Amino acid sequence: MYFKKIPVLKVESVNDEYFVLRIRDKELTQNIKPGQFFQIKDPDVAIPLLPRPFGVYDIKEDVLSFLIKKVGESTKNLSILEEGHIIQLLGPLGNGFPVAQNKKVLIASGGIGYAPMPYLEQKLKEAGNEVWFYHGGQSSNDVFCDDVQNCTEDGSCGHAGLVTEHIENCFDSMDVDVVYACGPELMLQALSVLCNERNIPIYVSLERIMACGVGACCGCVIKIKENGKVVYKKVCKDGPVFGGAKVIWDE
Amino acid sequence: MNKCEIKFGKMRWKNPVTVASGTFGLEYAELFDLSQLGALTTKTITPEPKAGNEPQRIIETEAGLLNSIGLQNPGVQEFIKTDLPEYSKIDTNLIVSISASSINEFASLVKKLDTQLGIDAYEINISCPNVENEGIAFGTAPEIVFDLTKKLRETTDRTLIIKLSPNVTSITDIAKHAENAGADGLALINTLYGMAIDVETKRPKLHNIVGGYSGPAIKPVALQNVYKVANAIKIPILAMGGISSVNDALEFIIAGATAIAVGTYNFINPLGTIEIIEGIQEYCISHNISYKKLIGSIQI
Ligand SMILES: Cc1cc2nc3c(=O)[nH]c(=O)nc-3n(C[C@H](O)[C@H](O)[C@H](O)COP(=O)(O)OP(=O)(O)OC[C@H]3O[C@@H](n4cnc5c(N)ncnc54)[C@H](O)[C@@H]3O)c2cc1C
Ligand SMILES: Cc1cc2nc3c(=O)[nH]c(=O)nc-3n(C[C@H](O)[C@H](O)[C@H](O)COP(=O)(O)O)c2cc1C
Ligand code: FES
Repeated sequence: MYFKKIPVLKVESVNDEYFVLRIRDKELTQNIKPGQFFQIKDPDVAIPLLPRPFGVYDIKEDVLSFLIKKVGESTKNLSILEEGHIIQLLGPLGNGFPVAQNKKVLIASGGIGYAPMPYLEQKLKEAGNEVWFYHGGQSSNDVFCDDVQNCTEDGSCGHAGLVTEHIENCFDSMDVDVVYACGPELMLQALSVLCNERNIPIYVSLERIMACGVGACCGCVIKIKENGKVVYKKVCKDGPVFGGAKVIWDE
Repeated sequence: MNKCEIKFGKMRWKNPVTVASGTFGLEYAELFDLSQLGALTTKTITPEPKAGNEPQRIIETEAGLLNSIGLQNPGVQEFIKTDLPEYSKIDTNLIVSISASSINEFASLVKKLDTQLGIDAYEINISCPNVENEGIAFGTAPEIVFDLTKKLRETTDRTLIIKLSPNVTSITDIAKHAENAGADGLALINTLYGMAIDVETKRPKLHNIVGGYSGPAIKPVALQNVYKVANAIKIPILAMGGISSVNDALEFIIAGATAIAVGTYNFINPLGTIEIIEGIQEYCISHNISYKKLIGSIQI
């Protein structure tokens, strides 16, 4: 884990909702597991006070990239940063996805849940896995790459309909050994049910509001089933990736 | 000689900066050498393990943070087994924050911890607003604060710090009762009561409805409490509440604090404590004033 102040290399707009933030750093790009994240903040901005967590989208040599959706104050501030502006990063944080070896695996993402998946896909392929990649969004605005199976609710790009419906239709024919998912919680819950019924392990990456990001404040907990008991686990330190079968989903 | 050394009760600190209970952990040892701090303060430990409150537990709000963690901790047994040996390796003072639900429970908790090496002080959390009947009842009644402090004073020779809540009628009255009963020092302030509502769902943003408000927003409130209490007592004050810069820390020291603790700001800048330690030393040098003289040097 590092805490560093680093100049912005580039902010690239993807469309009016999404952008990619890039920084260059030798240390921060070493030994990062897919699904790990950084707490990022512009130290010149007093409010919002807290840094915000963002998953690692891409690492190419010493360039570290984040795919970010503009949803509120901090993300909007980050989207307009100029090259050279100093931002602070704390990380890498969290456990990350366990990377299977020589298996048939499915990656499923929804909306901004796409962010950690390309890096996961790369690592899975390097480990000899056969990878299926399904991604869903509301419209073509939420689609980031043509090389994956895209689904849009309004049918403006790829298959029309929900990504979960689409996966459900062809799930058994894919015959996968492991599923990796990130996206809206209803999607993660539906996929977990699908996998549990078939005894297929599924790893889901969850989001919670964070303060410290390192496990010190106990602010980000969720309920997890463990040895027949319900316990609180920290999304920042014990997660953000959890076995889908163990998560107790919010009603 | 390091000009910023202090004495706090029976402890000697190499500098006047620690971390506020519940806002720091050994996780940060990956980032810097924790022995650079004047003292370390643990999160509050209770006699039995505590699962903590239902989430949502934290929410950022106007220039501050609302939390209702509910004293999640592994309990004293587990603390002694796993955390204490790790803390003991760090070459600085260790303040163990504790809470319990009765005077006797507090006393037996202190007794248990007194058998362990490596602890320099107890911070008595009688002011956490998150646990029903625990803490807050103690924190608001001057006579109970007196009885509790007296009992703990009879129980231990270690430095005894009573942590006070700002959510009371007269904080100076409570401070005096703690001093008269034998406390070595006071820590203030704990969080203010606060809440936030989602106007779309009309539901409170914290599951617990009410939480503790911390961060930059509460600094003026904390500062005037420290100022008031410093004028009413003689024992040293460990001040906290929104400290986020060297300047903030200096204000508390000038108002009468012997030492300061950084809380919420650890989440924003985990190296903030180190920057504040260096800044206080630089201030003393550039203003040609000893740290001792700086304490309570407010000009009215
Ligand atoms: C482990 C993890 C990885 C993430 N990775 C990405 C990513 O790669 N790309 C991306 O665009 N987003 C990611 N997010 C979500 C991102 O952190 C939030 O969108 C961001 O915090 C919103 O900040 P804001 O100030 O713009 O919005 P705000 O106005 O503060 O809030 C908008 C919404 O964001 C969420 N949020 C607010 N504060 C926090 C906080 N401190 N921590 C977590 N969530 C919060 C809340 O659900 C809130 O409703 C991730 C979240 C987590 C927990
Ligand atoms: C997330 C969080 C957890 C806290 N937990 C404790 C605790 O366990 N015991 C305690 O005495 N105070 C606790 N506090 C209060 C702080 O120690 C401190 O008194 C208060 O936050 C004011 O300082 P600050 O504004 O610098 O954070 C907690 C505060 C926060 C924000
Ligand atoms: S954000 Fe502090 S424990 Fe997870």
